[in-house]
Amino acid sequence: MLAYLIRRLLYALPILIGVNVITFALFFIVNTPDDMARMQLGVKRVTPEAIEKWKAERGYDKPLFWNTQASGAGQVAETIFFDKSVKMFALDFGRADDGRDIAREITQRMGPSLAVAVPVFALGLFTAISFALLLVYFRATYLDFAGVVLCVAMMSVSGLFYIIGGQWLVSKIWHLVPISGYAEGLSAAKFIILPVIISVLAGIGSSARWYRTIFLEEYTRDYVRTARAKGLSERFVLFRHVLRNALIPILTGAVVVIPTLFMGSLLIEAFFGIPGLGSYTIDAINAQDFAVVRAMVFIGSALYIVGLLLTDISYTLVDPRIRLS
Amino acid sequence: MSLLSVRDLSVSIGTLCPVDGVSFEIERGETLALLGESGCGKSMTALALMRLLPPGGSIVQGAIHFADEDLCCLTEAQMRHVRGGKLGMIFQEPATSLNPVMTVGEQIAEALRFHAGNETRVIELLAAVGIPDPERRAREYPFQMSGGMKQRAMIAMALAGAPELLIADEPTTALDVTIQAQVLDVLDGLRRARGMAILLITHDLGVVARMADQIGLMYAGQLVEMAPRAAFFAAPGHPYARRLFEALPEMAMTNEGQRRLATIPGSVPPLGTVFTGCRFADRCSEVLPVCHRELPPWREHGPAHRVRCHLEVRAEQSVRKVGAGETASVDVSAPPQALLTVRELKVHFPIRRGVLQRAVGYVRAVDGVDLALPAGRTLALVGESGCGKTTVGKAILGLQAPTAGDIHWQAEKLQGLAPERMQMVFQDPFGSLNPRMRICEIVAEGRPGADVARILEQVSLSASMADRYPHEFSGGQRQRIAIARALAVEPQVLICDEPTSALDVSVQAQILNLLAELQQTLGLSYLFITHNIGVVNHLAHEVAVMYLGRIVERGTVDEVLRAPRHPYTQALLAAVPRIDGQRMDVKVAGDPPSPSNPPAGCHFHPRCPRAEACCREAYPPAVSVSTTQTVNCFFAN
Amino acid sequence: MTSFKFVLLWSDALFFLLIAAVIAGGVWSRRQPHLRANWRKVGQNRVAMGSAAVLAVFFAIAFIDSLHYRPQLPNVDQGEVRYSTEVLSALDALLMPMRTQTEKTYSAPLATHLFAKETLDDAGRDYPPLRYPGTHVFGTDKVGQDVLYLTLKSIRTALLIGTLTTLIMLPAAIGLGLLAGYVGGWVDDVIQYLYTTLNSIPGVLLIAASVLMMQVVIDTHPEWFATSAERADARLLALCAILGITSWTGLCRLLRGETLKLRELEYVQAARALGVSSARILWRHILPNVMHIVLIAMVMDFSGLVLAEAVLSYVGIGVDPNTISFGTMINTARMELAREPMVWWSLAAAFIFMFVLVLAANLFADALRDAFDPRASR
Repeated sequence: MLAYLIRRLLYALPILIGVNVITFALFFIVNTPDDMARMQLGVKRVTPEAIEKWKAERGYDKPLFWNTQASGAGQVAETIFFDKSVKMFALDFGRADDGRDIAREITQRMGPSLAVAVPVFALGLFTAISFALLLVYFRATYLDFAGVVLCVAMMSVSGLFYIIGGQWLVSKIWHLVPISGYAEGLSAAKFIILPVIISVLAGIGSSARWYRTIFLEEYTRDYVRTARAKGLSERFVLFRHVLRNALIPILTGAVVVIPTLFMGSLLIEAFFGIPGLGSYTIDAINAQDFAVVRAMVFIGSALYIVGLLLTDISYTLVDPRIRLS
Repeated sequence: MSLLSVRDLSVSIGTLCPVDGVSFEIERGETLALLGESGCGKSMTALALMRLLPPGGSIVQGAIHFADEDLCCLTEAQMRHVRGGKLGMIFQEPATSLNPVMTVGEQIAEALRFHAGNETRVIELLAAVGIPDPERRAREYPFQMSGGMKQRAMIAMALAGAPELLIADEPTTALDVTIQAQVLDVLDGLRRARGMAILLITHDLGVVARMADQIGLMYAGQLVEMAPRAAFFAAPGHPYARRLFEALPEMAMTNEGQRRLATIPGSVPPLGTVFTGCRFADRCSEVLPVCHRELPPWREHGPAHRVRCHLEVRAEQSVRKVGAGETASVDVSAPPQALLTVRELKVHFPIRRGVLQRAVGYVRAVDGVDLALPAGRTLALVGESGCGKTTVGKAILGLQAPTAGDIHWQAEKLQGLAPERMQMVFQDPFGSLNPRMRICEIVAEGRPGADVARILEQVSLSASMADRYPHEFSGGQRQRIAIARALAVEPQVLICDEPTSALDVSVQAQILNLLAELQQTLGLSYLFITHNIGVVNHLAHEVAVMYLGRIVERGTVDEVLRAPRHPYTQALLAAVPRIDGQRMDVKVAGDPPSPSNPPAGCHFHPRCPRAEACCREAYPPAVSVSTTQTVNCFFAN
Repeated sequence: MTSFKFVLLWSDALFFLLIAAVIAGGVWSRRQPHLRANWRKVGQNRVAMGSAAVLAVFFAIAFIDSLHYRPQLPNVDQGEVRYSTEVLSALDALLMPMRTQTEKTYSAPLATHLFAKETLDDAGRDYPPLRYPGTHVFGTDKVGQDVLYLTLKSIRTALLIGTLTTLIMLPAAIGLGLLAGYVGGWVDDVIQYLYTTLNSIPGVLLIAASVLMMQVVIDTHPEWFATSAERADARLLALCAILGITSWTGLCRLLRGETLKLRELEYVQAARALGVSSARILWRHILPNVMHIVLIAMVMDFSGLVLAEAVLSYVGIGVDPNTISFGTMINTARMELAREPMVWWSLAAAFIFMFVLVLAANLFADALRDAFDPRASR
């Protein structure tokens, strides 16, 4: 068991290195730093001096992998690869274009991101499972049919419309909560409530339908027939037998996203002006701040890998077949 | 007043009608066996009694009286008290019929709580079905138990409501014969101890002979014969029943020298067939013109023995002696030079553990097997599931790389595949043909440009089938196609891996006859891998018995089947339910151990009634008891 | 009638290829009895056929919109024939009045006057009358362009993203998935490593990073593109490729799992015993038996990609800002919602068309899955 987890952990390392290499290739080999400088400074009428200055400011003036001018360890260390990629493993992300320390910015922005993402995750999972249970309880009736139709309709609406429509209706017409913004502490609640409700609503269609199929598939298993043959009621069969088995794939499937909750949601944060990591990423994309995007890619991947690890652990905790063998 | 009385029961699922006008009665404490081949409606009848029909299924007519109640009139809430209360049920697949994430104890307690109001008797019930160490077992999950244990746990669960009738739907079909014998003993013991009636659903005549008081034979959704056991086995009345008996390879046991089984032409009609007249008429060798027009009436055939047939048959002429076709004598002369020789074959699968995934042990699936297969002869490799017999076949063929040992074709050492020499026929007729390929493509796969028409005729299929797809064919026809595919490359050896175990008895006989014919005309050698002793007896010249990766006894069919020397062989033969109802009292306890951790000394000693100290210490050497028979047992003589 | 020069954009070529492939696949599957039975099941589903009809209309519009040409410029100096740098499509030609009958600025659906008051020459401030009153079903946008025209032009972008992405990733997903599942060993390890690594990068970020980089490439090489349409087309294809790279992993894993299962099936074992080569086994036995998964994945992914396009374009990492798409429409329309009085029709038009398209795709995909997936119970 422990050996298994250690093995998984060791397996995560090459993946992280792979991510790092891919990002590096994407940012420094597809385009040279000169290209980026020219693009940032405006393609036409840019002097070589301006390019050199731009590169020097960001530390892009070093060689990519091997510094022939340096000596000793510096041959490896004084390169873009070491500076920009290897240092990420030590959570040193360097500075953004506006000069701020990226690592500091990230720690500050994690809070607001979590304040939205955690309630969305918990509430979303709960409502989707409940809704799916309701549909399954009334399976093969008109209620079930109507529910599925509703799910398909809801998942056919772009998330953008949920946000735009929700903001327009709740904030602009009803004036219930501020349209966007954020505050520290408990007063954050009034800014958070709308984005949370909208996110949950936007996600419920597809996840409830997905959970419903998992439940129904579980219903076709032989042990369900056995439970009925014992004389158990339908409700008992659903809640004690089907739910317990179906929750294993549902919950372990949900675990993988838990670490990535730190990253926040790009759209929601951008629309609602929440100063989290999502809006940080969006701003960086719009400002073409490569350093920040690179840092976010690395962190996102690392968190996803942690998520995979948590999934493995949760499986061993929840499923007796894996726990005991 | 009977305990259960079913009147004119019909079940429909959508437009299909799997059960059509079935009537029978069960007395208290009695076992009624509903016997029939796949798709005859016997399981649907059982589910209808429990009112547990699959979605879309309903009882369209008839009445089910249990004790004094009409089950069809009960509300769902009332029915729940009957289910698991007065009526218990167990199913075919113990592996999937238990909830995988609840302990066995919890699952039994649940039934107790609902029907008895308390859950104190879990341990007592587990003990009652012969589960050793019930306190510990109650806390285990189903995956931690063997198949036999799981089926016992299922029985314990069904006993929770102290049922007056236990419905057992193919309760031992998924189990090995030695385990089957144990579970059947448990069922029979419980019936006697509790005065419980049993409705046994099965396709196995041997199980019926072992268990039943009354027998109901079903065909295509209808009952065609009802009889007490003795009368049924002594003088079956319906032509279908008689042909079934004749098709049994076991029957050849008493008929030396007969190599051809009687067969029933065609196959069981698919669900949804529209019938007029007798449903068996198209396959019946004694068909009368009236059979096609009118549904036959029930006719008295003997005391309490009724048959649904137009033909009046007197009891004494009922079973034709086996061997309806031409006969061929078994060649008993000394075996010719071996075509294929296997020496010290080992196939070990590593068990990887730890951070670095190092092999910490090996599953010794095959652990030193020697075989010799002469030209034109059949060697049967017999053993229970997990003994490694299929792996032997795949290793010889070259589909599985052996860990050690060598395989010789006459004097030449074989490496890897030798498709022109050896071919394989697989167990599952549905998995062995690619559903996306036409028959002509399948048959010609090994040799493009082969004469498909001629090969199809060789396996008694019409050449016109060549352009069709596998889904249009029945199981027996598919198995013929699989044989044709192997024959297309003109091999000399066919490795047959349980080729008939997925088929109904009547179809099995057709395939066995075909294999025998092909051996005669083409001089093929067969390595016949099977667990079915009856088939071995019918087809094989020599037998090798495998237990836990090794061969424990080998010899000619007569030697091994009539005078077994190894205690395992003896137990295996004794466990096979015999249709003459005779029982041998060599019993084997417990489950086979895991091949990853075989017991020290003789692998069989923990289950062996004759084990002594020496058996625990060393693996017994092969002892020759005749020129052809060797036994790995210290007490062979 | 002025003459024109036919223009074949890369995306057009791929789109035509796709349509040809679909038609060829349809003809081929008519001759396969098992597939015919599945399609018959789809055909009997009324919802599916309704959705298919709706999708067919959308695809027809996209097809017409993919026939591109450059009109000839009026011959002013009697010299050589010159063509406009503006690339038009057959749809533009069909919708000529709609495209050219522009107003000055916003007007409500079917209005006769502009939406905002202006100082008129004769009588103070009032709503000026429209040049083409009552012809704009969904009104006009800020620069007076007909909103219905914009919406119809968005369809091609959405469909291209939804289909070309899958087309681009399909060879990789199928090839690597089958290889990993059938060959096993270190090949399997490498392929698994590859897709776990790609999968671990958050999709949006990988897309964002790749699009940013692609934009740099496009911007620094203006000489590659003769017209702005070609430039936009390159970005569209790049986006498809990037979306493909981020989405092949799911299908690849699915196919690997299925291949692992199929490899153990007896007909594959029988083929091996007959000495059939691995390549032939993959081609004859494995591939035909996983095609239903590929088909289901293709139609299931479609609606997700259409939705993704809108979000990505909205965020600015989607199609070229000059390409008309649902995302770019919503992006501009969102600001209009904040105006007083509110301009709602652009958003409404985008919503209706997107909803109908995605709903039809979802319903059709469901029916297809039910018909082709052997495990689908109902």
